[in-house]
Amino acid sequence: MMLAFLGSAGMAAALIGALLLVFRGIQSARGNESDLVRPARLLLSGAIASMVALELALLTDDFSVAYVANHHSTTTPFPFDVATAWAALEGSIVLWGLILAGFTWAALSRYRREPDSLGAAALAVMGAVAVFFFGLMLTVANPFEVCVNALEVGCAESSPWPFANVVAPAEGPGPNPLLQNHFLMAIHPPILYLGYVGMTVPFAYAIGALAIGVPGPEWLRRSHRSTLVAWSFLSLGIVLGGWWAYEVLSWGGYWAWDPVENASLMPWLLATAFIHSALVQQKRGMLQAWNFILVIGVFALTILGTFLTRSGTINSVHSFTQSAIGPALLGFLVLVLIGSFALFSMRSHVVATSPRVESFVSREGSFLINNLLLSVYGFVVLIGTVYPLLLEAFTGTQVGVGSPFFNRLAVPLSFLLLLVMGIGPLTPWQGSPKGQLWRRIRFPIAAGLSAGVLTSVFVSPVGWVVLSVAFGVYVVSGLAGLLLEQARSRAIKTGNTRWMEARQVVSRNQAFWAGQVSHIGVVLVVVGIAFAANLGSRAEVELEPGETVVFAGYTLVYESPFQVREPNRLVQGARLSVLRGDRFITTLEPRANFYGADTAGVVSPAVLSRPRGDLYVTLRDINSESVDLGLNTSPLIWMLWLGGLTTAAGGFWSVAIRRAERIRREERQIVDV
Amino acid sequence: MSERLRNIVLLAIIATMAVLLVATVSTRPASEDRVGALGSQIKCPVCQGESIADSPSQMARDMMDLVAERVDRGFSDEAIIDELLASYSGAVLLDPPVSGATLALWLAPMVAIAIGVTVIVWWRRHPGDESTPGANGAPSRRRLLIGAIVLIAAFAGVVVVAANSLQEREGASAGVADLDDQDLSEVSNETLEAVIAANLDHPQINGMRLALAGRYYDAGDYRSAFPHYLAVAEDGTATGGEAVTSLVRLGWMAYDGNGEVGTANRLLDQALEIEPGSQIALYLKATVIWCGEGDAETATTILVGLLSDPDLAEESRTQIEADIARASGDEACA
Repeated sequence: MMLAFLGSAGMAAALIGALLLVFRGIQSARGNESDLVRPARLLLSGAIASMVALELALLTDDFSVAYVANHHSTTTPFPFDVATAWAALEGSIVLWGLILAGFTWAALSRYRREPDSLGAAALAVMGAVAVFFFGLMLTVANPFEVCVNALEVGCAESSPWPFANVVAPAEGPGPNPLLQNHFLMAIHPPILYLGYVGMTVPFAYAIGALAIGVPGPEWLRRSHRSTLVAWSFLSLGIVLGGWWAYEVLSWGGYWAWDPVENASLMPWLLATAFIHSALVQQKRGMLQAWNFILVIGVFALTILGTFLTRSGTINSVHSFTQSAIGPALLGFLVLVLIGSFALFSMRSHVVATSPRVESFVSREGSFLINNLLLSVYGFVVLIGTVYPLLLEAFTGTQVGVGSPFFNRLAVPLSFLLLLVMGIGPLTPWQGSPKGQLWRRIRFPIAAGLSAGVLTSVFVSPVGWVVLSVAFGVYVVSGLAGLLLEQARSRAIKTGNTRWMEARQVVSRNQAFWAGQVSHIGVVLVVVGIAFAANLGSRAEVELEPGETVVFAGYTLVYESPFQVREPNRLVQGARLSVLRGDRFITTLEPRANFYGADTAGVVSPAVLSRPRGDLYVTLRDINSESVDLGLNTSPLIWMLWLGGLTTAAGGFWSVAIRRAERIRREERQIVDV
Repeated sequence: MSERLRNIVLLAIIATMAVLLVATVSTRPASEDRVGALGSQIKCPVCQGESIADSPSQMARDMMDLVAERVDRGFSDEAIIDELLASYSGAVLLDPPVSGATLALWLAPMVAIAIGVTVIVWWRRHPGDESTPGANGAPSRRRLLIGAIVLIAAFAGVVVVAANSLQEREGASAGVADLDDQDLSEVSNETLEAVIAANLDHPQINGMRLALAGRYYDAGDYRSAFPHYLAVAEDGTATGGEAVTSLVRLGWMAYDGNGEVGTANRLLDQALEIEPGSQIALYLKATVIWCGEGDAETATTILVGLLSDPDLAEESRTQIEADIARASGDEACA
């Protein structure tokens, strides 16, 4: 009860802080400077208090809180008891609110260093978004309702009033079994949310700039930087999500074009487009209107994604009318779109006209094509995700839109993007001198084609595999050639070794090379996917104890079944020895975990990772006589994880560079004063 | 190497490699895995967005077994897909056809590309033109305002109409509560299916599922009964009695329908875990062990144990005694 009160008070305080931030932010943006620190502090401390209250309630098994009673159990072990805070709807919105408050605080720190009306207006926008989310928590998705009517396990009825007559159950059912099966559940959602919620910051600067009528370069610089932060987290979150699916969902896959996954991919695609098109505006003054549209679109897509994944609409269109959270999120989405575009059209007279693109064979030209491809990509994912919902809502017709549809469009779009990715970095702004692009790209083309032929002859002639290697080598060798060319021309001038000069080239233009690190990451992802998806093999075997099977070069020996009772679950599994030839490699224990009353069990695969790829074993069925096993191989799948991490790392490097530049700039300013 | 020579060498490499690549690369799919390819086109009825090839659920695996069996017997892809779609409610094609209701889905991305290309080409020809549409230039204020309002109004309209039509359809299709007043025996199977589909989250839905599944079961239509029993068995909110009934029937269907002795035993054991003395579960377990595994001795032990249950109906007692007599006489099972 104490904790429910603390949590509710925290949410209320945060809501008040957010409201104050909106009013004072607007005041400050109009020139009547007023204190923004205290409202932001109130927002942040309220958000922290509600998160702390929720965690304490979980860690102390406080079943008087209905959320705890319904999603936690005394036997849930660490770290899943902590992660239960975001394992269900109400709790995940608390995390959302906390991260939003954190980003607001970061924007405020910036404002304190450089108070200007753009920063104040952006803080007002962030406050407004916080008002919505904390309002949601206090009304339709309250995580601190207290239990007033208990079941044997869980809570039957709850009340939002913290001092209501509490009837706490003695035990809860625990979190969804799928969500307490792997430690990634503890880190994947917070990181993904850092990406999602982080997209509020660029949106706030864009709306702030439109509101004060100064759509100059300043909002773009800040939106670009904050998008890089959010984009890096989003990239990391998406990869961790794929990895979680691979390690937990036991079908050997990592991406199913599931609406939950699509919801994270759509803003990522548009944010990637914006990261590029913002550069076009910074360097060439083009695409000003388009940049506003992109930033607003990214934010709208994060809200749409939350709506799709959190309102239950995906499971059944019919759940839309059952919970108030769906209509609330959809209403907010409509409000965001109407508000943003109305403001945009009111201010469009101050958005400058664009100069003309001189040549498509230029950095801006390739960015333009990249933006076209990424926008279409995002649109394909969007329409594939919402089309079945809309069709069913209107006509009642059920259609499925699954991986065959997405793959057919996404794969060619991805390769087209790689094609442009190989050209963009090699062309300077405003177009290259005659013949320069050809001189730079002839070698990458030859190298890519040769690598393709080698792959086709020695590895596999499968089209997508060959194409992925050819395009990958083409992109990477183009970058290597560019680095070498610049190092060589410097070395001729300075007389230093090329190696030393290559390091100079990178350190003098870190922002560019950080971007290229992300490009290499994307290449690795494409190659990893192409190999794992096309060259894997699959088998299903039934083994008796002592029996062996040879699969994909491995010899698997079924040693024995085993059974372990842990506090929160019963683990049943099969112990297998894995040999390569006569050499023992490891023991694998594919298993099924049974949580509480759940009779179906959650299958937990055993994975052997080696440089050539993974051996992936799942338990299909087990009894005293024999075991049914699903066997998969995923060649080179580690490239997918490594590529995802590399992509994110490039983003974080970019953020670090811009931060260092800002600090240098500020130090210079201090010296100037 | 002179620039010209370098050009010639690289061009030669590019041309040779391009020819070699076209000659060696294969456009065939990686494996001739027809079963997997077919499975990845069907949505698993009890999962979220997963295909039956990807889902580890029991139902998806049964469906995959069916696909494998049909492929072995030489059925065409279309015939197999049609059969799956017809016999499992909730299974839908994940690969939308380029016709009918999903034509627009395929056309939309093409239209988007066309619009994008047009805008870019237009903008290149008319840089800074006040009338440049949407995406790139700086459009005139009034046009943009009108355009944005039309777009957003259209979006809001879609949302409102969708929400309304949903509510209407929910009102039109009977709810669980409406059916409570009727005698269920007068309601057709199709109506029950529709009601269940529209009320998946309703607390009383399990009772309705069991009623419908019972009809299918009695008619020997195990395939239609299966998803309902499975849903009840996997539903954490089902009562013990409901779960036991579902598990027992699933077990019997696994044995009687597919001859899966191991699965049947496991399911019956699960039922017995919930209700240790369940007569029907014990009786069927004995039957499975006797008939399926040929172990008459264990079966007899179970049946004898069952006889000691004071609540056993007289009719059942006679049947069990007859079974024991035959089992101990090593006769073939009934």
